[in-house]
This record gives sequence, structure tokens and C-alpha cells, in this order.
Amino acid sequence: MTTFLIRRLLHSIFVVLAITLVIFVLVRLTGDPVSIMFQAGEPTKEAIAELRKNLGLDEPVYVQFLLYLKDMFTGNLGTSFRTGESVIGMMQEKMGATLLLAFGGMFVALLIAIPVGIISAVRRGSVADFFGRIFSLLGISFPNFWLGIMLIIIFAVKLRWFPASGYQGLEYLVLPSVALGLILSGILARLVRSSMLEVLNQQYINTARSKGIKEWIVVIKHGLRNALIPTVTFIGLQFGTLLGGTVIIEQVFSWPGIGRMLIDAISQRDFPVIQGSVIILSFLMIFVNLLVDISYGFIDPRIRQGGGKSE
Amino acid sequence: MKKLGITACSALLVLAAALGGCASKPADSGTQANPQPKAQTAAPAAGKNELTLGVNGDPHSWDPIDTFLLDWSTVATSVFEGLVERSTDLKLQPGLAESWEFKDDKTLQFKLRQGVKFHNGEPFNAEAVKFTFDRLLGEEGKKGPQQANYASIDHVEVVDEFTVNMILKEKDPVLITKLAGYGGVIVPPQYVKEKGDEYFNTHPVGTGPFKMESYEKDNKVVLVKNENYWKQGLPKLEKVTFRFIPEATTRLAEMQTGAIDVMKKVEISQTDSIKGMSDLELMQVGSPTVYALRFDTTKKPVDNVKVREAIAYAIDADLIIDTLLGGYGKRVNSFQSEMSFGHDPSLPLRQYDPEKAKQLLAEAGVKEGTELELFLPGTDATFKEVAQAIELQLGQVGLKVKLNLVDSSTFTSDLIPNGKAGHMYRNGWGGWTLDFDNTAYLMYHKGEFWNPDFYDEKVEELLAAERSTFDQDKRLEAFKELNKRLYELVPEVPLYQTINLWAVNKRVKGFQPPADERIDLREVSVE
Repeated sequence: MTTFLIRRLLHSIFVVLAITLVIFVLVRLTGDPVSIMFQAGEPTKEAIAELRKNLGLDEPVYVQFLLYLKDMFTGNLGTSFRTGESVIGMMQEKMGATLLLAFGGMFVALLIAIPVGIISAVRRGSVADFFGRIFSLLGISFPNFWLGIMLIIIFAVKLRWFPASGYQGLEYLVLPSVALGLILSGILARLVRSSMLEVLNQQYINTARSKGIKEWIVVIKHGLRNALIPTVTFIGLQFGTLLGGTVIIEQVFSWPGIGRMLIDAISQRDFPVIQGSVIILSFLMIFVNLLVDISYGFIDPRIRQGGGKSE
Repeated sequence: MKKLGITACSALLVLAAALGGCASKPADSGTQANPQPKAQTAAPAAGKNELTLGVNGDPHSWDPIDTFLLDWSTVATSVFEGLVERSTDLKLQPGLAESWEFKDDKTLQFKLRQGVKFHNGEPFNAEAVKFTFDRLLGEEGKKGPQQANYASIDHVEVVDEFTVNMILKEKDPVLITKLAGYGGVIVPPQYVKEKGDEYFNTHPVGTGPFKMESYEKDNKVVLVKNENYWKQGLPKLEKVTFRFIPEATTRLAEMQTGAIDVMKKVEISQTDSIKGMSDLELMQVGSPTVYALRFDTTKKPVDNVKVREAIAYAIDADLIIDTLLGGYGKRVNSFQSEMSFGHDPSLPLRQYDPEKAKQLLAEAGVKEGTELELFLPGTDATFKEVAQAIELQLGQVGLKVKLNLVDSSTFTSDLIPNGKAGHMYRNGWGGWTLDFDNTAYLMYHKGEFWNPDFYDEKVEELLAAERSTFDQDKRLEAFKELNKRLYELVPEVPLYQTINLWAVNKRVKGFQPPADERIDLREVSVE
């Protein structure tokens, strides 16, 4: 396990370096942040040159990149062009809100997908299965901004059960989490259903049943636990999609997270903030996937005993 | 199984705590460790004398020299004040200065208001004015976009405690207006020196009617009454909350639930929903922003003035305003609104005349089916519809328009300045000084950032003429000539002046929708 972790860590460093290079070059192809900053004033050529120099944009790109790398290794991701704040500080401020939303979405997705998937699999071909599959299809097909707006209109404006937007307490988490989680739950329910079906046809399920164990214990303990491995892998992979989804959900629900910060930064060409957000989000993705690999060991003792085999 | 569950749960909790715990602190930890009590969804947003507004954007920088955003001015007008202020109906009036006069062409003397204090208790005086402009024109100002706007000021001299002389490098007839602008608001010297520029940027202090109590980035800013405000009996409100809600649909939902009392930027498609609610009022105000279809006068065939004129006759702007804008727009005869100094009401509007357009195109030798490219930012949903109408109308006179939707930042910062925005493009402009000088100079003076192509000798002469005198009558005369010249040259087809829509809960009294988006909340109260 230790050698595996070390290898994964080294691997991650290269991934982050590659991402840094790509994002660094890409943002510089998108336009000039300085002229955007002058949009409403009276820019003179001298003033533009001066500001460019102050922001360090007058150096050749490779020099800028090397300077950035140097700073990055000392834990400094630069300061925002717009506000002069440190990017790390800005990320710290926003990370909590975004992760809360992502976990909220994941929670809703699991809460819906696991029971729906199990029932669909156990009662295969029944009316419940039919509705379960319809639900999955709808979940996959709804665009999440539309779903978000619908939830606001129904549960905030008409029924007044939950606040429509903002971030001031736990009740504010409900609607955005549902909007985010519902989409994921559609795919997830399908996955749980198909892996449950596969597992339920295994010999050991018949063995368990023949021992006279109650059916629901067979389904949960012997069935679900084994069906969870592909599901957990999938959740790990979907975490990125979930974070991506928060970008739109944060906009719709005025949620003060990284997604909104990123949208603002992109429209203002705030290079350090774009770079920093992307790099930290990549770190997070790598970290979550590492957790997924480790979690296999908990779910399936065979992997834990086999040591490095889990790769 | 049980063990597994517990392990997994605790792992998740630890992860959430590690990543979230350190991060969930709000921007301003000093004053608002406790989140606000649960907002009532059904009842009005806040209690008596408390107002909640839903605005579209968070300015992010509060330091006046670091910003140019309307989002800033919507909130910061209540926090900061300049020597001069602009009323809601856009008249210039004394602010922190009681009076001013030109001692000579290059010396502008201000008599300052006495007994005014900053929110931190620091006195407002001549030193504060000097400090403000030293900072704006010095190293700190260089980092932001405001310095260039005040380039005509050389320095400020203290005469006595409540008198200052502003020494100018060159004549600047628009200077007084500019002093009511963003970069000219007065900042507290002691506070900025002690706390530093970075702290000031998130914890602004001014002399305005409200002081900032807390700020949570991308979420909300809370202002409370400045008890020592210099205008007796004002402000009337105890507390004002601005919530940053970027989506118009969400803002409307918050308005309908009563979570906000005032909504900025109501979209045309939302007007019926607002009118349908008995406790809400829809307010409209003409904005200084105008839209036009600007030509690249170096590209064939629009390098020919006849072709440009033909296009102007072929576009039915009245129809566009009545249908696509739902009537919430006004025609303009030049690239400025009627509130701009330099607007000439006697200048005619080109009336829709497709026959005349066809005739002009024939005279210019433009063949049927000639293709023209029209660029516009893809995020502007309203103008996208306008552009489609233009495509259709120009099609009727035999011109084939190809619409090109592009990223808005690239559009303004790369395509337009480098002459890569096709034969014609959407041009929108606010003219923040409300004096045609700002617009005209940037749009028609040779070599300006957003004018890569247009040049006319007469236009240059008239621009120089209006800049070289303080005599407003002479300047108006020069603008009149300039408008006429531009009318003949057709560098653009002026389309319409926008009308800004606001939704206001009827329990709010005294609210005036501001033309320049700077809300004056001093006289506002809540029932």
C-alpha cells in the first residue's frame, strides 16, 4: 500500500505540472486582461503599458511561467489582477461553500439512487422497476440549470418551503443540493441496478439464500456490498462532474463558491485566479480518486490483503 | 458491515472538516461570526427601516481607485462621497465641497464642508483631499484603472484646513463631472495608512450616509446608518443589505417571495410577472447607455458612405424597440443619450425607408446578395434578437448578413481594437461623464483604443475645439457641429438608448431608480 501511495503521489505531481502548463498557456490565448480593466475609463497607451508592467504581463510567456512555477513551489499561487488578494486566500474562503454543495449533491444522489437501484434490480420488470428506469432517464436528461430554476419556482416561490437563493444556513443547502444530486442520481441508479442484477445472479447469493437468511439481508449484505465496488469507482469519477455542475448551480442559486468565482475570473481574464482555481480543483480530483482507490480496501477485503493489486 | 459504515462515515466527516472547516469562515470574520437569523420567505425581507436589495454583481474591490464597475457604484455611492455629487436626475451639486471656482485656467479652488467625519471618526479636511489625490495620482493609483481618468490634475495644494487648490496640467472642461466619479471620492488618510491598502479594499471607510458592517464575498454586503452623517435627519433607514444574485430569474423569485424589496436589472421578459403582483411596482429610467451598429470604415463595401447610409435607412429601429424591447428603449439620433451634454434634439432621425436604401446601394454599385459580417457578444441575448431583426431587414434590401457571436471579453479587448470585428459590430457605450467628450473622443479620435479605423479631419478639429475651452456654450456649439458631421459620415447607425427596469416592493417609500445605477438611499424609508 505504501509503495502504491508513493507511486500515485509522484504520478500526481506530473499531472499537476502538466495541467499548470496547459492552463497557463491557454488563458494567455484568450485575450488581454488589461484592456478589459479599462473598459469604462479613458485608456491611454502609456497607462495600458504601465498597468501591464505592474501585473508582470510585459515579460515573455516562458519567463512568466517559470516565475509562476517558482512561486507555486513555495505555496504561492499569485494575487488576483482585479482585487490584489492572494489566490490561496480566495480559494480558502470559497472552498468550504463549494465542497458543502458538492457533498450535499452527492448525499442527495446516493439517498435516491441506492434505494431506486436496489428496488429496480430486485423487482426487475415490475411497475417499480419501470418507474425507476423512467426516473433515471429523466434525471439524465434534465439540464441542471433548468431543474434549478424549476425547484426555485415550485419550492421557494409557490410552496415557500425553502429559501430561493443565498447562503445563510443549512436550509439554504437543500434546493441546490437537490438540483445537483438529482441529475447524478439518474445515472447512479442505473449503475446500481445493473451491478445489483449482476451480483444477484452469482452463485454465492443462491448459497446465502439456501442457508435460509432473510431476503433483505441477502440483498443488502451479500448483494449491495458487492455491487458497491463499481458504484464507488463511478462516484469518484463523477466527483469531477459534480464539481463542474456546481459552477452552474452556484450561479443559479447565488451560492458563493468557487464556481462563481471562476466564472467571474474568466470573464475578467483574471489569470492568476483562473490558474489557481484550476490547479487546486485538479489537486482535489486527484485526491478524491486516491481516496476511492483506498476505499476499495474497506469494501472488499480481498483487495486489502492483496496489497498493491488495487491499482 | 457496521464497522465499514462507521469507518466510511468518519472518513467523510474528517475530510469535510479538514477541507471545509478551515475554509468556511466568511470574508469578514470580525463582525459577523453568527449567520443571519433565518430569512422569512413569506414576509417582507427585513424589519422596519431595514431594506434588502437584490443586485446582479459583487464589485469584489471596494477601493475606489481599483474599480470601474457599475456594480461598485450601486453600493459604494452609499459609503463614499466626492467633492461634487450627482443627483439621481444627474444634476451636479455640492458634495463634500460647498463651493468651487476657477482662480485661473489651471487652478481650481474648493471650499470644503466643515464638521464632516469619516465612519471611523477621522475628520474630513483639506489633508484628506490632498491625501486622496496624491494616492490616486501616485504609485497606488497606478495599479488600478482610475488614474488615467484624472490625468489632467497635476497635484492638490492645501491652502487652509478647509480650502484646497487643485493645480491642473491642462484645461479639462469635464473635470467637475469627473470629481463626482468613482476615482474622485475622498478616502480617510489615517485609516488607509494604518490599516494598509489591502485591508481598505475589503473594509472601506468613507463619509457616506451608510457604513459597511459586513461583507461576504459573492453573497451579501450589509450597511448600517452613519449616525454622524452631515445632512441632518438622514439617512432614514437603519440598515441596508445588498444581496448579490447574478441570475435574473433567481432575483425575480426572491422578489416574489419577498426576500428582497428592490430588484436591479429586471429583464423585459419579466415585466409581466412584476406587473401581475399587486405589492410590486415596476419602475423604469432611461440609462445613459446607447447601442449602435458601428461600421469598420476601412472594409469594402462599408468604406463607402452611401452604403453606410443605405444600411441606416434599411433598419427599422422603431419596430425593433416596439417589439423586441417591448417599448423599453428610446431612439437616438447620435451615439449618446438625451441626458448627455452635447445631445442635439434638433438633429433629425433617419426614418425607415427601404426604397431609398435600395437606391443608395444601387448608386454605390453594391450587388444583390453582397455578404456582410456582423459581430456581437454571444452573452447579449437582447442584442442577439436585435441583430437577427437587422439581418432580416438588410436581407430585404438585398444585403446578406452573417451573424458572428463571440466571447464578450475577446470582443471588446481584441476584436474591436484590432479591426477584426467584421464589417459592422454591436457598439454599446455609457459615457460615464455624461458629457459627449468622453464618448466622442474615444470613439472618433484617431488612434484611440476602440477606434482602429475611423478618421476625419473635421471631426478632429471639432474635438480639439470642444476640449480647449471651459465655455460651455462654445463647447455645445462644437458638439452640435460634430453631431452634424457624424450624421453625414455615418460611422455607425445609432439604434436606441436603453431603459433600465427596477422592481420595487410598494412598502418601500422614496426610492428613485437612478439613471447611472448609483442608488441614493438617503431619503428612502420602509413602511
